[in-house]
Formats: sequence, structure tokens, C-alpha cells
Amino acid sequence: MSAGSDNARSTAGAEAPVLLRAAGLEVRRGQRAVVSDVSLELRAGELVALLGPNGAGKSTLLDALGGALPLTAGAVERTGRVAVALQSPDLARRTVVANLMLALGWWGVPKPERRGRAVAALEAIGAGHLARRPAATLSGGERRRVHLARAIAVAPDVLLLDEPFAGLDAEVRATLLEDALSALRSETRATLVVVHDRAEAWALADRLLVLIDGRLVGDGPPRELLEQPPSPGVARFLGYDGSLRDGDATLLTRPPHVALDPAGPLRATVTRATAMEDGFRLELTLAEGRLYSVAPLPAPRVGDTVRLRIDGGVRFPATAAGPLDEFAMLRT
Amino acid sequence: MHELWELLRQAVPLITHGNPYLMSVIWFTVQVAVVATAAATVIGLPLGLAIGLGRFRGRRGLQILANASLGLPPVLVGLFLFFVFAGQGPLGGLHLPVTRRAIFVAQTILGLPYVVALTAAAVQALPSGLPAQARALGAGRLQLAILAVREARIGVLAAIIAALGTSLSEVGAVVIVGGNVYGYDQTLASAALYEANAARYADAVAIGIVLTGLILVLMGGVGVLQQQQGGIRLRFRSAT
Repeated sequence: MSAGSDNARSTAGAEAPVLLRAAGLEVRRGQRAVVSDVSLELRAGELVALLGPNGAGKSTLLDALGGALPLTAGAVERTGRVAVALQSPDLARRTVVANLMLALGWWGVPKPERRGRAVAALEAIGAGHLARRPAATLSGGERRRVHLARAIAVAPDVLLLDEPFAGLDAEVRATLLEDALSALRSETRATLVVVHDRAEAWALADRLLVLIDGRLVGDGPPRELLEQPPSPGVARFLGYDGSLRDGDATLLTRPPHVALDPAGPLRATVTRATAMEDGFRLELTLAEGRLYSVAPLPAPRVGDTVRLRIDGGVRFPATAAGPLDEFAMLRT
Repeated sequence: MHELWELLRQAVPLITHGNPYLMSVIWFTVQVAVVATAAATVIGLPLGLAIGLGRFRGRRGLQILANASLGLPPVLVGLFLFFVFAGQGPLGGLHLPVTRRAIFVAQTILGLPYVVALTAAAVQALPSGLPAQARALGAGRLQLAILAVREARIGVLAAIIAALGTSLSEVGAVVIVGGNVYGYDQTLASAALYEANAARYADAVAIGIVLTGLILVLMGGVGVLQQQQGGIRLRFRSAT
């Protein structure tokens, strides 16, 4: 996880060829537009994370980019072959290596090459030891690992992965993320990974796309987007859960921006304290708004008055940030 | 009870003495069972796969039709075929009534719904992600069909067992389209009916015993194959 977005970046730049270009994409289900007006480019060497809340249209967008769903508007240009690894890691009733060889057969790889490519892909994702195991005996984490290896083995020009780390416990997910980081990076391939968890996006990607309500509302390097979110909506989604009215502006903060400090300029009342592994997450209510902070033990109790300072955060015009109550939705 | 015992006592020598008539009926029954089941499988498997995997309009209607066909009375099928194959019927030119070929056709038609409906159900019961993933990685229709049959092989074998059972034991359609001609186009089931109608109950019981034995042998063979497929999966699981 530590090999995150800022220290393992690809060299993909503006000069790298565009392998997938979507313009004005719209996908409807019945009368409802699930994806609206999405335009994006994926270049060779890029590892891009697509992040959004539940129901944002991430999987639909992925299917549309892969050509599995008809578009109601817009167009997708693909250079080379696109492989989609679906969210469900279903495997055939045969050994792991045979599963990969089967997929290589679907992809059209000549038979003599299949075993070597299958084994190489398994090794790349740290699943070489699983090669001879029957798929039915794999754990959930192993299944996900093999599912990823299957997608890598076919060596597409564009790889689209739908929540490859879904349903795993934290420890297994962290290990798989670390192994996937190097396996997914390729100078010649463009990879788009749908993720549900922000931590996965930071760990994997050199570029982050944020999809909310079917619209692409953020596109940039993860750290940049986190530090300078383009809109209050993106800020809220990226973890800016605190808000403070400051004249005509609203200051949005994340817990690391808010520090308890006896000499701090602001005074707040602790209105909620949720126990965490190494401390408490505190809800701090001020006359001008509500902030959240993480305090080490011993932490103040509910009802205590504390002093605090704010280091960072982003400001938006009060009208753009919306009413304070709207933030409650983001804290769930 | 005494009468039944007496019938069995009379029937056993009829079986053990190798009656040529009985042998010819057994042989024809096996031919009909194998050929009709094979034909129903060859025709029905692709249809079942298309219904189970396909994404075309009318798929649900076809599945309802296949499921409903499972309840068709064989006598009605026999009557329908008789009039279709009769001299004035649309296929009268084939001269099929009261021929062995008519029996093969009738039993194939009766086995077909089992293969279609049960194959479609078996394929639909597969985890939906696997066929979808195969499609996403470029699998063609044939590759998808092979994958589905292999993954759903226990259910597909159940479909074939059901068709085999129908072809062995069904009698209504056979009698109507074949005429139940003594020593010519009788299956064991229709021969038992023939003997019972003629009040030769010991002969009917003897044929019934042979038919039961044949069903046990043929169905048992396919059943063992099916269990082996399931066993492979269980052994995989036990390896964890």
C-alpha cells in the first residue's frame, strides 16, 4: 500500500499513444441515463483508477468502454484489443493453469504458447504456486488473484478491470494490491481499474477519474485531486467531511486538517466520539459548522469543550458548497 | 400374492431360455433407445444451449414451450405423428406409419423436450459471470457452448438420462405410429402391453423383468458417469 500513487508512476505522458478515446458517451437503461456525457482518453502506459460511490455508473461505463453495452450517444475509439475482467471472479471447473489456458484460447492465442503465458501471468501476480490447484479449491483472495492473472495473461492493449479487489478482507486486499501494482503496470498497455475504495485508488493509479451520478466530475493525479478537488461534490466524495462557514466561503476539511490544540484559535464541542484502533474519531461542533478529527488516546469525551486549529482544507463559495446539512450524506 | 408369485415362476424360464422373439425385441429396444437418445441429444443440446445462453428475442417463449412439452402425453404425440405421416398427411410421402423408422422418429421427438429443457436449465444455473467473462475475452459461440456443456455436464447428463428413460419405457406413441406389430417393430414396453392384452400375463411379466433390467443397466451406466463427474468436483473440494 505504501508504494502508492506518487512513487511508482509510469512514464506515460502526452506523447504516449491514445489507445482508447471516448467522446460524449451516454448509456441509458430504460429512460434513465446511467452514464452521461463522459469523455476520456486512455494512453499507453497509464494505470487509471475509476472511483465513484455505489450506483455511480462505474461498471456501466466500463462495459460501454469495452463494447459490451450499446451507446445511446457518443463514440468510443479503440486502438488494439480491449479485454474486460468482470467483477465476478468465476472460474471454470479445472485447474488454475487450465483456466488461464482456456482464456488464452478464447483470446485466440496459439495452443503451444498458452501454457508458458499462463504460467508467466500467474508468476507475475504472485500466484505461481496455485497453478496446479483445482479452481474449486481456491479461497476468495486466491480466486481474485487468478482472475487478475487471467486478464493479464491475454495481454490486451487496453485492460479494463471491474473492482478486482472487491469482497476481500483488509489483509488479503493489501497483499493483492501490492502484487497487482507491478503486474498491472505496462509501458504498452492502458489499464483502467474500477475501484470502490479510495485507498485502492491511491495505491494503484497514476491518474484518477471520479464518477458521480454517471458524470465524470474529476480527472487528474490522485494527490492533486485530493489536495485541490475541482468541486464540493468531488471534495465530499474524496473524504472532505467537515465544513465551516467562513464569510462568503465554505471551508471543507478532512480529519487530518483538523488538529486538537489547546492554543488553537477555534473552540468546539465534542458531539460524537467513535472509537478507532488507535484513538477516537471526533465530531466537533462549532457555531459556524461541523468538523471531524482523529484524536489519539486519551481523547476528549462527548460534551467536552476543546480548542483546535485547522491546517489546510479547501474553500468554495458558500453557494457552491451547498447547505451544511448536505454533508451528513457524505459521512455515512 | 400367490398369483404374482406363480407368474414370476413361469416368467423366469421364458427369460433364461433365450427366446429368439424376446432377444429380437431386446435388440430393437436397445437400438431405439440409443438412436433416439443420440438424435434427441444432437438436436436438443444446441437448442438447450441457445435457450440457456442466448440473448435473443423469444428465448423465454422457447423455454416455456420446452418446459411445457415435458408434460405432453405420448399418446397425443403418437396421434399427431400418425396423422402427419399418414398417406394424406403433410409427410405422407415418407411412408413411415407402421415402420421401425416411425418408432425412431417418435421416440426422438419424445426425448427432445427433456434434452432441451433440462440442458437450458442446467446452463442457466451456471454462475453467470463465467459465460459473461468468456464473451468478454473473445470466446466465440462454439467455445462458449463447449464451456457451458463442460461446466454444466452433470445437469446435461441428467437431461440425457431423462431422454433415455423416455425412449426405453414410453409405449403410447410407439403403439400408435408403429402399430405394435408382433416381432417387427415392438419395443419391450409395447411387447409387454401386447402380451398383457392377449392375456399372456407370464410373458408380459417376463418382458417387464427384462425391461426393468435393461433400464437398470443403461440408466445405471449413464448414472455412474454422472456421479463420476460430480465426484471429481467433490474430490477437488476435499483437497482444501
